[in-house]
Amino acid sequence: MNFEAVIGLETHIETNTKSKMFSTAPNTAELEPNTQVQLLDMAYPGTMPRVNKEAVRKAIRIANALHMTIDSTIYFDRKNYFYSDLPKGYQITQQARPIGREGYVEIEVDGKKKRIGIERIHMEEDTCKQLHFSSYTLLDYNRAGVPLIEIVTKPELRSGEEARKYVEKLREIVTFADVSDGKMENGSMRCDTNISIRPYGTEKFGTKVEVKNLNSIADIEKALDYEVKRQSELLLSGQPVIQETRRFDETKKETISMRVKTDAVDYKYFTEPNIPPIQLSDEFIIDAIKTCPELYDAKLARFTSSYALNDVDAKIILSDRALADYYDECAKFTKAYQPLGNFIISNVLSILNRENKTIIDFKVEPKYISELVDLLDSKQINSNQGKQIFDKVVKENKSPLIFKKELGATLINDEKLILSMIDEVLKANPSLPADFKAGKTRAQGFVMGQIMKKTQGKVDPQVANKLIVEELNK
Amino acid sequence: MSYLDLSIREIHEALLNKKVSILDLTKEAISRAKKDTNNAFECILEKEALEKATKLNDTIIPKDNYFYGIPYVAKDNFSTKDIETTGGSNILVGYMPLFDATVIKYLNEAGAILIGKTTLDELAMGGTGTSGHKGKTFNPYDPSHTHMIGGSSCGSAAAVADGIVPFALGSDTGDSVRKPASNSALVGMKPTWGLISRYGLFPFAPSLDHVAYFTRNVEDSALLLNLLSKHDDNDETNSFKTRDDYFKELNSNVKGKKIAVIKEIRESITDKEMNKKFNESLEFLKNEGAIVEEVSMNKDLLTSIFPTYFVISCAEATSNNANLDGIKFGPNYGGKTYQEVMYNVRTKGFSGLIKRRFVIGSYSLMSENQHDLFLRAQKARHLIVDAFNEVFKKYDCIYLLAAPNVAPKFDEASDRLNNEYLIADNYLAFGNFGGYPSMTIPLGFKNGLPYGANITSKPYDEKSVFNLALNLEKFTHLADVSFLNYKDKEEK
Repeated sequence: MNFEAVIGLETHIETNTKSKMFSTAPNTAELEPNTQVQLLDMAYPGTMPRVNKEAVRKAIRIANALHMTIDSTIYFDRKNYFYSDLPKGYQITQQARPIGREGYVEIEVDGKKKRIGIERIHMEEDTCKQLHFSSYTLLDYNRAGVPLIEIVTKPELRSGEEARKYVEKLREIVTFADVSDGKMENGSMRCDTNISIRPYGTEKFGTKVEVKNLNSIADIEKALDYEVKRQSELLLSGQPVIQETRRFDETKKETISMRVKTDAVDYKYFTEPNIPPIQLSDEFIIDAIKTCPELYDAKLARFTSSYALNDVDAKIILSDRALADYYDECAKFTKAYQPLGNFIISNVLSILNRENKTIIDFKVEPKYISELVDLLDSKQINSNQGKQIFDKVVKENKSPLIFKKELGATLINDEKLILSMIDEVLKANPSLPADFKAGKTRAQGFVMGQIMKKTQGKVDPQVANKLIVEELNK
Repeated sequence: MSYLDLSIREIHEALLNKKVSILDLTKEAISRAKKDTNNAFECILEKEALEKATKLNDTIIPKDNYFYGIPYVAKDNFSTKDIETTGGSNILVGYMPLFDATVIKYLNEAGAILIGKTTLDELAMGGTGTSGHKGKTFNPYDPSHTHMIGGSSCGSAAAVADGIVPFALGSDTGDSVRKPASNSALVGMKPTWGLISRYGLFPFAPSLDHVAYFTRNVEDSALLLNLLSKHDDNDETNSFKTRDDYFKELNSNVKGKKIAVIKEIRESITDKEMNKKFNESLEFLKNEGAIVEEVSMNKDLLTSIFPTYFVISCAEATSNNANLDGIKFGPNYGGKTYQEVMYNVRTKGFSGLIKRRFVIGSYSLMSENQHDLFLRAQKARHLIVDAFNEVFKKYDCIYLLAAPNVAPKFDEASDRLNNEYLIADNYLAFGNFGGYPSMTIPLGFKNGLPYGANITSKPYDEKSVFNLALNLEKFTHLADVSFLNYKDKEEK
């Protein structure tokens, strides 16, 4: 019997606002533990939450990118439970009225587009970070109160591959919208998955298993594939799937049972009384959407139309939002868009790859790259000279025009000068015009070779070729 | 008679005219505080107060800053920087806040001098003034200590009624300022929800919590509201409305003012002497030109006020005090797991009464009960508020006796199912449901014990409350009454 997987994902995105969700503490949790903390983050009695406007703006942008209905009134609720990482004894979240409902994202599976329904997105706050040791636990309140956006899909994913593509797409949206760096490895994007299987053609859901501790996009696919296999084998051997929470073991590449789900925790939700409902004006919502940085799909469309980049190159450049931004910057200083693309891909990226860096580490002024591309594109220098100059530009972050002068890197395109050199070669080899006219095109190459040799390759080949042909035809 | 026994405005004038100095005034207040026999104080801040008084003593008194150099006390559930704040609970003994509550900050900036923190029912939950970790607080009007002063703002009420300070901060979630005010002949004011910042007030039930305060006359109450009601960004529920100048706009003319007396509440109070006095006050108001009418309300709604209050306040309270878990706040008695740490501190740190309320609150929020208890209470709250809003469409004020009797005895058991208890003893919470401005003023004395009347108006209509209260002072002659002078006052 063949089984179909039914998968739903809950993704938490750490939002990159300047301050925390409800306090003025800086949102820089990675700094020295317990230094990025305000009274509210430690739940000092009498402190009160204040909603971070920028976090709301960012949530609206994500809701919009996911084609969701945006609630123009913001409500918050308390989720009550006791845990050592929870400062207030409750988390402020949006239970009853999430900021976004009913949306979708499109992914590509086997060359076909598939829409994955998004049930809801809501805003909430992060908890403390816990560091467990054998006899004690350390708490880092830097993370307490960091703004989170939670995105919940409908159970519409059908394989580990689809789940991976969904998360890749989500990551692309949050990074391009400048809402988060979307890095799973450092927890700024976290995924919990729910998976059950059922025989193809049936409607009834199977027993749901939750899989946690997924630290990379690749792990999501691996863990879910493993679960499909595990659950199928159980059912085929006549054993039931148990409702439980499992975690993914990265080294063994398998899921391991953490705890069997008994009764779900009762979070005793109620409306947060210290934040009155906030009515968002249409203006605020529209402005949040309008000021959203360009998303991937729009950017791809623009790169392939306005810049007329070919699809393959455009996608390479768009694989990293910062690289796309760099290209955009460079494109302000040149019209040679495709050569610019070629140059960035073959020269800039190769340096970065070689040094294991990203474009963020690349400090060369975009204008200098454009100048260099223009020099190459207008044949004022050849590719060899281009490489030499590029090395210097990278080293010193100065204009290539300076190095071009230093290298004497000027192509000889003075027609009189070139003609006199051609004459010289022809005088020494008087048979060449006749050979040429008789169809021996080698003659043309011979002349070119001679004058290149004489000038150490500094003659503009286009100009020279034109003149050589004219002279040989005389 | 000392300058301390005058109204705030009069003390201010005496300071301006150099009849008394800030230091002398503060010393007098501290000396009276030290002689306190009512268990009003969590702590007396002698050193801090004298330091500040000395500093201010040689400065020029700013005219029209009525609070400059005026001693006061605050209930021990207001966060005070570097001053232990316990909330009246063992769990917070030793807690030193890192910040001042907004109202404490405003008073400090104005030059008022905090001379002590006062007792309260544990975490402001309770109405008897008996459940705080320091034990019972007594009523100054009853030196035999058999009658309570009521709570939860018991210590603040006792300190003002005993003439130690001219005003005190309290908090009012059900009637925690207005009820003790009735029991101790004070003006107890709870303005509109959102008018005074709650930042730094330990939360009990934020949707019902109000910063409230005691004074000995209506004018002082208006003066204090001017200072305390300044907008504060730290409290997102704080109103953006422009504040009135409550002091400047004070007047006692009630001609044409429409006053509603709720029939069912009036009928739930059976004390003949108090009813007689109340009826006389109605006649007085009519003679002053007010239109007084009896208005009938659905009795079921009125008997629902108390259970509704109880469910909502307990539910919110469980959540607000969940931070007291032995990890951040409260002593860590150890434990093998985090659950054990929390269990230990919360078992030892809270009294049985508080635990009972937490259990009730938690029970009413559980998903299987939420519909029947918490959400039903929320609906009841809406219905009750709608009914009172209807009254406020036609009337400027609701005016009634504040309580069914004078302060009860400590050992007095009340029948919790009769109208007197369900309505008369607990109706004041409607003011918290609707966030209405609501004030208790002294009305009279019975066998040497005071009782008060309550005036409530629609949200942001503090002016009508002050107006009616000021007029009634002409009837009661009880402005500036304290235990030290009530016999002279009564003779008037």
